[in-house]
Amino acid sequence: MSLLELRAVRKTYGGRTVLGGISHAFAAGEFAAIMGESGVGKSTLLNLIAGLDAPDSGAILFDGQDLGTLDDRAATLLRRRRMGFIFQAFHILPHLTLEQNVALPLLLNGLPLDAAAPMLEAVGLGGRGADFPRQLSGGEMQRVAIARALVHRPALVLADEPTGNLDPETAEHILTLLRSELRRNHACAVMVTHSHAAAEKADKTFVLGASGLQTG
Amino acid sequence: MMPAAPPRDRAALALAALLVLLAVASFATLDLQWSAFFAPEAAASTAEFLAGFAPPELAPAFLLRTLQATLETLAMSALGTLIAAGCGLALALPGAGRFGRLARVPTRIVLNVLRSIPELVWAALLLVAAGLGPLAGTLALAAHTSGVLGRLFADALENAPPQPEQALRTNGAGALAAFFYATLPLTLPQMLSYTLYRWENNIRAAAVLGVVGAGGLGQMLKYHLSLFQMPSAATAILATLLLVALVDALSFAVRRWLTR
Repeated sequence: MSLLELRAVRKTYGGRTVLGGISHAFAAGEFAAIMGESGVGKSTLLNLIAGLDAPDSGAILFDGQDLGTLDDRAATLLRRRRMGFIFQAFHILPHLTLEQNVALPLLLNGLPLDAAAPMLEAVGLGGRGADFPRQLSGGEMQRVAIARALVHRPALVLADEPTGNLDPETAEHILTLLRSELRRNHACAVMVTHSHAAAEKADKTFVLGASGLQTG
Repeated sequence: MMPAAPPRDRAALALAALLVLLAVASFATLDLQWSAFFAPEAAASTAEFLAGFAPPELAPAFLLRTLQATLETLAMSALGTLIAAGCGLALALPGAGRFGRLARVPTRIVLNVLRSIPELVWAALLLVAAGLGPLAGTLALAAHTSGVLGRLFADALENAPPQPEQALRTNGAGALAAFFYATLPLTLPQMLSYTLYRWENNIRAAAVLGVVGAGGLGQMLKYHLSLFQMPSAATAILATLLLVALVDALSFAVRRWLTR
């Protein structure tokens, strides 16, 4: 059974059709990249998959459960427990140490916090748990973001332009790391990107356009 | 070649001329007796008045009373500021639109009313309810400062970058958890800095409030001045200066540390 299934998902904004009936199934452990021009609806699709927005028609099934049947609280709980997020601008909290940042999903889920330090070590930041984000480079911040997205062992990771703020060499390192961490945690990932180099790191690449989601 | 000078703004020049004219007209309409003000007799009586303050009263019993009044002023200002910080934060949340626009507008009006009424007027009103003494002064400081801090805190919350809180909400944090982990820590140093600055102001205000019977150094000062006991009044003034200087230095050091 697929982990994530899109069934004829349609979304319009102000009379303009952003997503016109998209259907696709993502398997558990799959790393998928979605490319496409600006304004084609890539971020809208991620918001719909995360349950932050609702499609006008169609359905999104996560582990067999229709997200459209969840109220706001249930959708929040689902995101907290089963999903992880990586943002282009990192969004690491500046007043918390690296270990505290990584431990946040554990704290929100009521899980033991001692998983944060090994996760930091896994992304190459072992021994730096007491550092603050201001002491890090962009690449190191995104490592922390990857650790935070995976520390609570989510089934699905959603990444919005995770290498958009990084130089090509750092981006290559980050994507290699993301791929190996996804494998190690057997997590499915949907990554939205403009970068062909980034998309090549994924198992499958799709292009989002007016005709829907096409295999790239 | 040098660029051409910008043209002079005629409207601004006309406004400046009008303001000068109004200032001159204001002085002309007042019955200011400049000759009496600068007369040798006036200078002599002023010198005599000021000489009456020296030396300050330093009897141990009086110094102890001054210390008690100083501590009372310090307590009034600290407690008034603390109450105001709590009330200010409670009002800042709806004032920053965190409970919707419907709650934002009336809360902003309440904050405007609280800070538009000066501490002295609040003290005069509260003396009737709370009676003479430091309680009325403390409540007066708390009421005015709640309006000031509530407005500043609400602006700080509204101006805080929304992305960290949004990112936490996306990660499945509840609204309260996202606020406490993201926005509040980001704005807390600024809020503490505002609170300390207002505490500095409230030390001075607490001394003035004493004059209308709200206790502390101000009440002591008014008592001795009204009896023309200038050396005792001088001690109260020196104690006020010392207290203000100490709190200013402490507050400055803490604010520097918070914003380092």
